[in-house]
Amino acid sequence: MSALTLTLRALPPHSVDLSPLIPDRLAGLSRAAIENIAVGSRGLQLSDLFAVSGDDAQQMIICNSSERLTHIGSGMTQGTITVEGDCGAYGGLGMRGGRIVVTGNAGAFAGSGMSAGGLEIRGNAGDFLGGALPGDKQGMRGGIIVVHGNAGDRAADRMRRGLILVGGNAGAYCGSRMLAGTVLVSGHVGVMPGFALRRGTLLLAQRPPELPVTFQDSGEHALLFLTLLERELRRESERFARFLPLGNRVRRYCGDLANSGTGEILVLD
Amino acid sequence: MIINGVAIDDTFAEAFGMRATRILITALDLKWAYHAARAATGFATSVIGCGCEAGLERELSADETPDGRPGVSVLLFAVSGKELAKQVERRVGQCVLTAPTSAVFSGIEGEPINLGKNLRFFGDGYQNSKVIGGRRYWRIPVMDGEFLCEETTGMVRAVGGGNFLVLARGPAEALAACEAAIAAMSKVPGVIMPFPGGVVRSGSKVGSKYKRLTASTNDPFCPTLRGAVKSELSPDVGAVLEIVIDGLTDTGVRNAMRAGIDAACKIGSAGGVLRISAGNYGGKLGQFHFRLHEIVK
Repeated sequence: MSALTLTLRALPPHSVDLSPLIPDRLAGLSRAAIENIAVGSRGLQLSDLFAVSGDDAQQMIICNSSERLTHIGSGMTQGTITVEGDCGAYGGLGMRGGRIVVTGNAGAFAGSGMSAGGLEIRGNAGDFLGGALPGDKQGMRGGIIVVHGNAGDRAADRMRRGLILVGGNAGAYCGSRMLAGTVLVSGHVGVMPGFALRRGTLLLAQRPPELPVTFQDSGEHALLFLTLLERELRRESERFARFLPLGNRVRRYCGDLANSGTGEILVLD
Repeated sequence: MIINGVAIDDTFAEAFGMRATRILITALDLKWAYHAARAATGFATSVIGCGCEAGLERELSADETPDGRPGVSVLLFAVSGKELAKQVERRVGQCVLTAPTSAVFSGIEGEPINLGKNLRFFGDGYQNSKVIGGRRYWRIPVMDGEFLCEETTGMVRAVGGGNFLVLARGPAEALAACEAAIAAMSKVPGVIMPFPGGVVRSGSKVGSKYKRLTASTNDPFCPTLRGAVKSELSPDVGAVLEIVIDGLTDTGVRNAMRAGIDAACKIGSAGGVLRISAGNYGGKLGQFHFRLHEIVK
């Protein structure tokens, strides 16, 4: 069996919701059945947009992908989707397992509401990475998001659980309204990191020029849980190489004191 | 059967099904890991009066522990899951949480029982949890930083009460044989010998002339009662010591008994070791029978 490969024939004139195309739903379907799946809201069938080859729906590849393809891997629970190119908004929305790899950039709300599995973005991520949809009480609820490039504003907004690793910079209000979970940013973060953070950990490799006044310095500490986190990352050292070594010595800033103050910004030593 | 002048009785040790767990205690250095582990396994010689039987399984090097610090592996055994959970929580709360720089982790997969799940409330609202690698850990702020503990540990079915008796010319000879046995048995994984130094002198029988006692001295094996009771001891036996073994599996208990009996027999009759026997209740109470002749053959 070879990977089920969907090659975009031409750039669609509008965004197309690809949420029906997940390994869970395609498993066991014939080629014809797959080609007839309705995608988007304008009466399109999959074969109108994509050339289909291969048959292993557990190893899907979307070639020539574009930012106009949205909701890729939404709600998936198993298998792997490799997106060759960019993906639009809502990639990995609510995913509950499996793995998505985006070789290009991802749009807004990537990994929003995901509860398990892995989302890897080799380019940059848009705003609200792992964040909550408008009206939702929680953003990401589990799993791991890895961004090799930069993340936009409001990354991890209302994040409830899980791990977000950003290899580059993160925009403004990183970790805003976080409920729990861990976000690691290797580069710089924009203004107001941890705004209204309730619990959870914002782990920064570089101290921001200015922290919100509602975060207070707790001093330098060696935190054992960071050793566990580093060991966990070392299990897949190739995948997480750029985030290693992590170390466990940090300067801790507790906050947001305007919002219970039980969260923290940790700046790695 | 006679080995190196030591008679091996044609009898069996009778052991019981128990519930057990393994926890890993780490600290800044081995000294403090031992302080915590020894405190946590103190007063845990017998379920009769201690609630559980516990002991140190082995030392752990830094690369064997979850947090990369040296530590000690501890086994705890109890008669029920409920009692085990109670003992684990109480002992970890009073003896590990309190020990400087310590941390505690689950060391075995099994039905989950609380480890740090309720201890977290000591954090008075300042505690935090982290899920790492699918396991939940609690970070409890304490005066030397943070106490890190895993939320649960695994509970498994286990075997308690494996045993053998060393009958020797006198107390010194019996003790020397038992020390050699314990040294050999300590190398067997998955077992503990819960009594002081691994050796017990107050072997017991079921029941007593006193109604409120469920166990009393094993008079047939008490040398000073020879002549007063139906003694199991020949005139040349001056002391009897017992080694009790709890193990995660019956194979572990069997291996430990074999290692211990071999070590005692190596000393032999020349060193004053005269007989090896075992304690049982006629085979009616315990589900595991360890026949000495099968073990040493």
